[in-house]
Amino acid sequence: MKADTVRKKAFSMPLHSPSYPPGPYRFIEREFMIITYRTNRAALEKVVPKPLEVIDPVVKYEFIRMPDSTGFGDYTESGQVIPVRFAEETGGYVHAMFLDDDPPIAGGRELWGFPKKLAFPSLRVEHDTLLGTLDYGPARIAAASMGYKHEAVPSEMALRALGEPGFLLKIIPHVDGSPRICELVRYRLGNIDLKGAWSGPAALELFPHALAPLSDLPVLEVLSGIHLIADLTLNLGEVVHDYLAK
Amino acid sequence: MEPADVVKTAFAMPLTSPSFARGPYSYTNREYMVVTYRTSRAALEEAVPEPLTFDEPLVRCEFMRTESSTGFGRYSGAAQHIPVRLNGQAGAYIHNMYLDAYAPISGGRELWGFPHKFAKARLAVERDTLVGTLEYGPFRIAKGTMGFKHRMLAQATAAGMLGEPNFLLKIIPHVDGKPRICELVRYIRSNIVVRGAWTGPCALELHPHALAPLTDLPVLEVVSGVHVIADFTLPLGEVVHDYLA
Repeated sequence: MKADTVRKKAFSMPLHSPSYPPGPYRFIEREFMIITYRTNRAALEKVVPKPLEVIDPVVKYEFIRMPDSTGFGDYTESGQVIPVRFAEETGGYVHAMFLDDDPPIAGGRELWGFPKKLAFPSLRVEHDTLLGTLDYGPARIAAASMGYKHEAVPSEMALRALGEPGFLLKIIPHVDGSPRICELVRYRLGNIDLKGAWSGPAALELFPHALAPLSDLPVLEVLSGIHLIADLTLNLGEVVHDYLAK
Repeated sequence: MEPADVVKTAFAMPLTSPSFARGPYSYTNREYMVVTYRTSRAALEEAVPEPLTFDEPLVRCEFMRTESSTGFGRYSGAAQHIPVRLNGQAGAYIHNMYLDAYAPISGGRELWGFPHKFAKARLAVERDTLVGTLEYGPFRIAKGTMGFKHRMLAQATAAGMLGEPNFLLKIIPHVDGKPRICELVRYIRSNIVVRGAWTGPCALELHPHALAPLTDLPVLEVVSGVHVIADFTLPLGEVVHDYLA
């Protein structure tokens, strides 16, 4: 292949059959269970990179079912998001994410900088309970439950939560192992069509794992649980801080 | 965390629990079955990026089992390598590669530029046959077979094969989707210790899949098969051509 064609075609590896296609990335019937919990402030200060600032010692633990997403397919995700402030705005710093599907892991990491690893989450209805589980290999590392659709949540509140920006720390090494990209990235969800939002009694348990250290942000108290269903678009990101800039 | 500590800690995502460990990456008892086959010259012209060139229209389909690798663990894989040259130097261009573990997938892609995707490979002895298979989701997309340890191969031949340079096309997009990194990378295995090498009768079949296009380099004729068990170190790479320069 001509070098010029390589340059023109280059989007992702492998060149001839990229692991993920270019967007837009549209999600239909995306379902969230988000358990907000209180944690240890010192633990949060250790993991949230400045210039982001911790607001309250709070973490949002999420399970997300994505049955229909352009280019990425049908998959499930689970992880921790930390409410933060960046300059004058508030948003969520994505601290850890675990997925069961290769294209959104590779694309998430390489395009935006999502801190994604391979593991096996599930989100399902078990009789009266909305149940989320996350397994790393054969080990259970998170389990969450909510009463199923107990109370409707006003849509303005749900839309406000989905409309906040997300923040990511994108790191890609050079071939010599030194950091090549080290950037704070901001992204937003767009074209949100909310299908429903509910709250209810919620519980969450995290288990220690060497390579999936969810319990480094321990659950001290569960504050709330929300269940959302929406169609939405995951927009590309923008760099808001370059750690390597001299 | 202070910005200066972010820079000091930064190696891979996530910052506080990187998906892959820092090297050196040492492999113990890595086992390969390599089936070399003749393919279409036009298909290779399309697949091999300049400034790499090739002499004969050959492809090496590899199945590998990694028993122990520092930081990456125990996993299996399969790949298509194309014998190429860079400014006369002979080596192999890694065209497709599939692994069943994510630490080496993410580390391979982000550090060196290995074209890794997730699929389930297996290399095992079934009575008299060394069998390599590759499955993408529920579909079988490759199967190689070889008579088990029929004839010894000179260790120097096997060491020469493992010791030649390998080439990768590392591509990483920017957050806006434009190419941020587009480089030809070379790496050369070191500390190679061949535990055994054999040849024997072999066969290979590939099946079409939309996202794992092995059959774009069709099997026209099987040329040879090699079975190798070796220890080695996978060193970091070096950029030999920058497409964006």
